[in-house]
Amino acid sequence: MEIDAPPSPRGLLSVLRFLVLIVLGAVVGGVAALFAAGFVRGVLWLNEILLISPRSRMMFALPEWLTLTTVAVPALGGLIVGRLHQTLPERRPHTPTDAIAAVQTRRGRLPLKAGAVSAFTAMLSLGAGASVGQYGPLVHLGASLGSLGARLLRLSRSDDNITIACGVAAAIATAFNAPLAGIVFAHEVVLRHYALRAFAPIAAAALVGHVIATQALAQGALFHVAETVVPRAWEFALFVVIGGLGALLAGGYIHAILGLSRVAQRLPLRPELQPALAGALLGVAALWVPDILGMGQETLRFATIAGAFDSGELLLVLGLKVAATALCLGLGFSGGVFSPALVVGMLFGALCGTLVGGMTGISQETFVFYAVCGMVAVTAPVIGAPLTSLLIVFELTGNYALTTAALASVTLASPIAAQLFGRSLFDIQLHQRGLDLSSGRGQALLMDTRVTDYMTRECVILSPEASLDEAIASLARQRHAEAYLVDAGWRFHGCVTLAELEAARQAAGAPRRLLECRDETRPTLCAETTLWAAMALLEEVTGEALAVVDDAGLFHGVVYEVTIARAYLHQSEALRREEHDHG
Amino acid sequence: MGRRVRGSLPAVALLLAAVLLTMIAWGSPALAEPLRVLSWGGAYERAQRDALFTPYTEQSGTDVEVSRYAGGLDALRRAVAADEVPWDVIDMTRSQAMAACDEGLLQPLPQDLPAPAPDGTPADRDFISGAMGTCALTHTLFATVVAYRADAFPGRRPARIADLFDQQRFPGPRALQRTPAVNLEWALLASGVPREELYRLLSTPRGLTLALETLDTLGAVRWWEDGEKPVELLLDGQVVMASGYNGRFFEAMVQQGAPIEILWDGQVQEHETWVIPRHARHPQAARDFIRFATSTERLAALAGRIPYGPARESAAVQVGRHPESGVDMRLHIPTHPLNDERAIVKDEDWYARTLTRMNDYFTAWLEARETPGGKAPAAPKPAEAASDD
Repeated sequence: MEIDAPPSPRGLLSVLRFLVLIVLGAVVGGVAALFAAGFVRGVLWLNEILLISPRSRMMFALPEWLTLTTVAVPALGGLIVGRLHQTLPERRPHTPTDAIAAVQTRRGRLPLKAGAVSAFTAMLSLGAGASVGQYGPLVHLGASLGSLGARLLRLSRSDDNITIACGVAAAIATAFNAPLAGIVFAHEVVLRHYALRAFAPIAAAALVGHVIATQALAQGALFHVAETVVPRAWEFALFVVIGGLGALLAGGYIHAILGLSRVAQRLPLRPELQPALAGALLGVAALWVPDILGMGQETLRFATIAGAFDSGELLLVLGLKVAATALCLGLGFSGGVFSPALVVGMLFGALCGTLVGGMTGISQETFVFYAVCGMVAVTAPVIGAPLTSLLIVFELTGNYALTTAALASVTLASPIAAQLFGRSLFDIQLHQRGLDLSSGRGQALLMDTRVTDYMTRECVILSPEASLDEAIASLARQRHAEAYLVDAGWRFHGCVTLAELEAARQAAGAPRRLLECRDETRPTLCAETTLWAAMALLEEVTGEALAVVDDAGLFHGVVYEVTIARAYLHQSEALRREEHDHG
Repeated sequence: MGRRVRGSLPAVALLLAAVLLTMIAWGSPALAEPLRVLSWGGAYERAQRDALFTPYTEQSGTDVEVSRYAGGLDALRRAVAADEVPWDVIDMTRSQAMAACDEGLLQPLPQDLPAPAPDGTPADRDFISGAMGTCALTHTLFATVVAYRADAFPGRRPARIADLFDQQRFPGPRALQRTPAVNLEWALLASGVPREELYRLLSTPRGLTLALETLDTLGAVRWWEDGEKPVELLLDGQVVMASGYNGRFFEAMVQQGAPIEILWDGQVQEHETWVIPRHARHPQAARDFIRFATSTERLAALAGRIPYGPARESAAVQVGRHPESGVDMRLHIPTHPLNDERAIVKDEDWYARTLTRMNDYFTAWLEARETPGGKAPAAPKPAEAASDD
């Protein structure tokens, strides 16, 4: 287990070190932003030449071929994506989930190959019209680039975490052209703590990303809102209700994606061919409802306009979009969950707005408020980032009234979804992989560390057949109070304590063999036991050490209780330093 | 070639005289024919005559004969097919020029056709981006704008293009051009679509339907085709708001003192180009004319007479006051920063590829609208529109 070196003395040197970290953050931000801008442009370009974007479809000179391309492009895209994923060790694309796990367990060191392949396949997936998001891949790409920077400069794990967060912040700042949202996202979703030491480099990265976005991308706002009226007071109550309902929809969306992944595992089709199947199904559905193809920028826009959809259409497109996204992500396309959630949420909000308009007969001036409330109500629970969602609304629209309405909605959405489903899709996925972040990083860190890291054989090992006198003599010679009974075949038979042995020798009818004096209540550890589980055992056990025994009953060594306690203190100290030190 | 001709005027005159004599002798009028230009008539043509045609005749000795153009490519298609093209140069919007170029109705233009700026700046750096196409050279940017009668709405005035569709606050009949272009854009803009996304959304059946639904709210509309018509309708008081070309409205407003005002919000800017049709009888003279008419001096002179934005930097800075009225022309040019804050740049590439389909769709909608009980046409899905082309 690596523990950071003690902090250098305060003064000029630490200021200098801190400044270097900020410069590094800016550099990582710049690189991540350039890649993000290239990614976004690459997707747009692919959408044009592959006849996915409505503009290219309308301008295509041979419209009779569009039926064919609509089905063939996603299917072939899926075929290539599926093939490329086979080159990765886990045979699946990496996502922000992997970046979060790396930071929360202080492992850092995101693999570059997985990052590069996942980003490339995500670009292909999006380019070929798969119903997936672009922000997840950008976040993971930024994180991988940040981690690469830390590795090249041989920085510590703490600094690796910071550069990962820098890459993430820059990617979000570039893609949304929203630097504050980038900074908050890196803290809220990836780091999950606030430290001044991390804030400054992350802010520098986001700022560079923002500057590059304004220079290199020059794209229109994701959802532009013209000057709007201020909603009536009672409408805020509706926004809160929309938040609550949106949380349920978010849960449905999350479980549709997870459910399709489970179905995919039982599917009698080779995993590398599954994305092609998803692509073909998506293409066929898109012949009927083209709104579900790709990221859905146009659908997103129409959802903010009162009267562009009637409620039946809204319900249809909403349902199909959830299904299409679950299908694409579940069956192995590479991509994020945020952009489809934006569309789903916006459609849901528009549906609420249409229904309220129909029931109360009020003017539709505040329609866009409903759409945006629905959007944050669904996106915030999905990515577990209520503040980021709010800031995205604020930075993209610059509209304060709209932001307060979104706040009303997210107030109920995030806690309800967290209670019912979990903090975010990422956390649910990590929980399924065995990493529980629900009780914070300290626990996650202990759960991610195996006791075997602290195992030793520096202990008294005795044969179960040895006599009491021999055992006591041996213990006294080696200055220990406990011995472990292991036979010639390394099978473990329990442990004995000096106090028990002495007591047995004093007692009448003293047993002849050690086996009869062993402490049967003492638990053992196995190779998979985590530090967290060992800590829990310590509450019941008093003694010197716990034996590590495998499934076959073979003895591997012992872990001293004092080592466990010391490891826990070291972990806490490292966390404390990472989260609370200034420089 | 062009430069040599201009550089040695007496020699050309001599040559011309000799040719004229020869022609008279042979009885063939071929080279005595004037340069035949197809342009848009009205105030625009008057400005062109003062700034371009007359000076060209003075300089080259070639007369210029102008015919009236109402847009569209049908006449050109027929003429090219019959190998009987009655024009040497056409003043055409860029989207039409692009479509015509794709169909092979136009001659490619040499890249060194336009003259450099007076200070020696090469033409390709002096012209605005996108001005120099394969078959077309942009000379000016004109705008389609909404103008309204200043006396029609006491106490308030339209400020946003959405006001065009607001019959409650701004009641009264409207006049609009009988084309899908501009009207569809305005309808979507009024629905709150940002101008960057207009053509992406118009590419979807939903966007087209939405735009036509908005147009449908207008009630009775006077549809115009000739550029002078909206000015007349406004002046006669038959309509209170009309779309039209900014130069024509300027002419009525400033030159004739008519009580109308221009709403610059949502103006649709378009490139106006010079092209040479295939089978033109005098392609060389046509190229000479284009080089002359797109020089910095002539473009500035044209913008001094009619407020269209010159397509080259060096000319834009030279625009001054109107020679007769003394009006500062810069304030009336569409590309002036005060005017083009929320301008729509027409996606001419999009129109070049979808024009026929859009026209058919728009016409079907108009006909359904004008027949009582008519049903609006289904928006053309790209996949179903094959037969329309």
